[in-house]
Amino acid sequence: MSIRKMLYAASVASMLLGSAAYAQTVGPQGETATPSASITVPEDKVATLKEGKHRAALLWHDQSDFVNAVTAGATDEFTRLGIEVVATTSAGFDAAKQRSDIETALAKKPDIVLSLPLDPVTSAAAFEQAKSEGVKLVFLSNLPKDYKHPADYAAIVTDDLFQMGKQAADALAKVMGGKGTVGWIFHDADYYVTNQRDNAFKTTVEKDYPDMKIVAEQGISDPARAEEIANAMLLKNPDLGGIYVTWAGPAEGVLAALRANGNKTTKVVTLDLSEPVALDMVRGGNVTALVADEAYELGRAMAATGARALLGEETPPFIVAPAVTATADNVKEAWQQSLRVDAPKSVVEAGK
Amino acid sequence: MFQRTHAIARKFDLQGSVIYLGFIAIFLFFAVTLADDGFLTTRNLSNIVLQTAPATIMAIGLVFVLSAGEIDLSFGSIVAVAALSAAVVMQEHSMLLGILAGLGAGLAIGWLNGALVAYLRLPSFLVTLATMGLFAGVARSMTDLRSIPVISDVFTGFFGSGSLFGIPSLILWTLGAVIIGHLIYRETRFGAHVIATGDNPRAAQVSGIKVPRIRLAVLMVSGGCAGLAGLLYAGRLQAAKYTLGESDLMTVIAAVIVGGTALNGGKGSVVGALVGSLMMGMLNNGLILMGLSVSDQMIVRGLIILFAVAISLRGTSRA
Repeated sequence: MSIRKMLYAASVASMLLGSAAYAQTVGPQGETATPSASITVPEDKVATLKEGKHRAALLWHDQSDFVNAVTAGATDEFTRLGIEVVATTSAGFDAAKQRSDIETALAKKPDIVLSLPLDPVTSAAAFEQAKSEGVKLVFLSNLPKDYKHPADYAAIVTDDLFQMGKQAADALAKVMGGKGTVGWIFHDADYYVTNQRDNAFKTTVEKDYPDMKIVAEQGISDPARAEEIANAMLLKNPDLGGIYVTWAGPAEGVLAALRANGNKTTKVVTLDLSEPVALDMVRGGNVTALVADEAYELGRAMAATGARALLGEETPPFIVAPAVTATADNVKEAWQQSLRVDAPKSVVEAGK
Repeated sequence: MFQRTHAIARKFDLQGSVIYLGFIAIFLFFAVTLADDGFLTTRNLSNIVLQTAPATIMAIGLVFVLSAGEIDLSFGSIVAVAALSAAVVMQEHSMLLGILAGLGAGLAIGWLNGALVAYLRLPSFLVTLATMGLFAGVARSMTDLRSIPVISDVFTGFFGSGSLFGIPSLILWTLGAVIIGHLIYRETRFGAHVIATGDNPRAAQVSGIKVPRIRLAVLMVSGGCAGLAGLLYAGRLQAAKYTLGESDLMTVIAAVIVGGTALNGGKGSVVGALVGSLMMGMLNNGLILMGLSVSDQMIVRGLIILFAVAISLRGTSRA
C-alpha cells in the first residue's frame, strides 16, 4: 500500500471514529452508552428475587411529570419483581434535604436506592452512608464525585440526550425540506443534560444538513426572557425558517413572540412535552415537533438495574433510555410512550 | 386529639405546654404506627435531631427577633452566604479564618438589616424581604452557582459528622445553643428588654430601654445564628452551595410559632422553638417512613402544622 493510500485510509478511519464519537450520548465520565432495552432481569431469577423480600427507596430531586413517569416505570418493574417500594421522597432541589431524605429512608433498610444526586460535590458525602451499608445505588443522570463503578454504584441511567437533539434536528429538517435558515436558542449554563441535547441539535444540522444554516445563536438562562430573545432574533432575521428552543418552557415564550409578530411560517422544534406547546402543534401553528424522553422506560431500566445488581449480575456503568418524536400525527401515542399517561384532553380534542 | 390535649392543658393550667403535649402525641402516634419501620431505633431518633440542628439554631435567632416585634425573612439567604464564605476562605486559608468569615458574614448582614430597621425606621418585613433576595443573588454569584467542597476533616468533624464522648457534634451544638439562648432570653436584662420592646415599644422607650439598639441587636442575633447554621450545613454536607437554607424559611417560622412565640412580639420561648423544630423534623421523618407519596406527605404535614399553630396560638393568647 502506498503512503498516500495509507494516509487516505487513516483519514477515513478517523472521520468514521469521529462521527461515531459524536453520534451518541456519553456519560459524565465519558462512559459509552448501553441502550435501556437491553437491561432486563432474567426470567429464571424473578422467583429468587421474590423470595428475598427486598425493599427499594426512590429518593428524587423534585416533583414533575417526568419524575412521576420515572416513578411509575420503576414501581411497576419493582412490583413485578416482588420488591417493595418503602419510601418515596422529593428534595425540592435542596441538597441538605436530600441528605436528610437518604438518612431517613435508610431506617427502612432498603436494598436498592434510585436517586438523582443533586450535585456531584454535595451528594458525595450524602450517599456515603448508603454506599457503606452496601445498598445498591442506581443514579439518574448525575454521579457523586469520585464514585467508582461497579464498587460504589450499579449504574447511571439517563435519557439518550444526543438522540433527543438529533431527532429535533431531523424533524425540523423534514418540515423545512432540508434547507433554509435556523435560529438556535440554547441553555446558557454549565448543565450536562441540556448542553448535550443542544449541542447534538447543532452538530446534526451542521453535519447532516449542508443546506441548512444556523444564522442566529442565543443563550438563555431565564425561561421568562424567551419572548424578548425570540423577538430580537426575529427582528434581525425576519425570514428564519426554523427555531430550535432548548426546552418547552422557553418555547412558550418563543411562540408568544411569533404570534405577536404575526409570523406563521417560522417552524419551531423543542424538547420535552408541554400542553400549550403541543396544542399549538396540533392546531397547525408554528410548532412542528416535540422530542421527549421515554421517562417510564427510564424508570423501568433503573429498577431492573438495581435488581440485577442485587442478583450479582453485571450492570453496565451508563444506560440510556430512547427518545420519541411527537408530531401532530402521533401526539397521543408519543405521550403514552413517554409518560405512560393520556395526552391532555385539550390536545386530543384539538387534534380531532 | 389536639382539642382534647388543649382541654387537658387548660385543666392543669398548662397552656404554655400545649406544644410539648402535641409533640408527645405525634411521637406516640409514630412510635405505635411505625414500630416495625425503624422509627424508634436510636439511629433514626438521633437522625431527626441531627437533621433539624441547623433549623433549630435559626429558630433560636428568630425567637429573639419575633419577641422584639420584628421579623427576619432573610436568614435563609444568610445561611447560604455564610456557608459559601467559610468554604471559599478555607480553600486558601486556615479553618479558623473560614469560621470567622462564615460567622462574620452572618453578623454583618444581620447588622445591615438591623441598622436599616433601627436607625432608618424601615419596617423589618420589607427590609429583610429585600435583603433575602439581595443575598440570595449574592450567594449565586459568589461562586457562579458552583458547589464548593469542604475538605478539612477538623471542620467537618467539628460542625458536622464528629462527636464528643459519643455524642454527635450537631447535637452538642443544638444543646449548647438552646441552653445559651434560653439563659439569655429568660435570665438576662437583654432578654427582658427584648420582650418589653416587643410588648410595647413606646412604654419600653419611656422606661429607658434603648429600643433601636434592641432592634439592631436582635437582627444581629438572627444573622449570627443563621451564620452558625450555615457552618453546620457546610460541615454536614462537606460542601457549600447557594441553595442551602433556601427552603428553611417557612419551616423555621412554623417551628417558632408552634413553639409558643407570638408573631406580634412580647412573648417567646427558646425551648419551645427547639421542640417546634424537632416536631417539624419528626413529621418529615415519620411521613416518609409511613411510605406516603410526596404529595400526600405535603398535604398531611400542612394539615398537622395548621392544627398545631392554631392550638398553640390559642394556648399562648390565653396564657
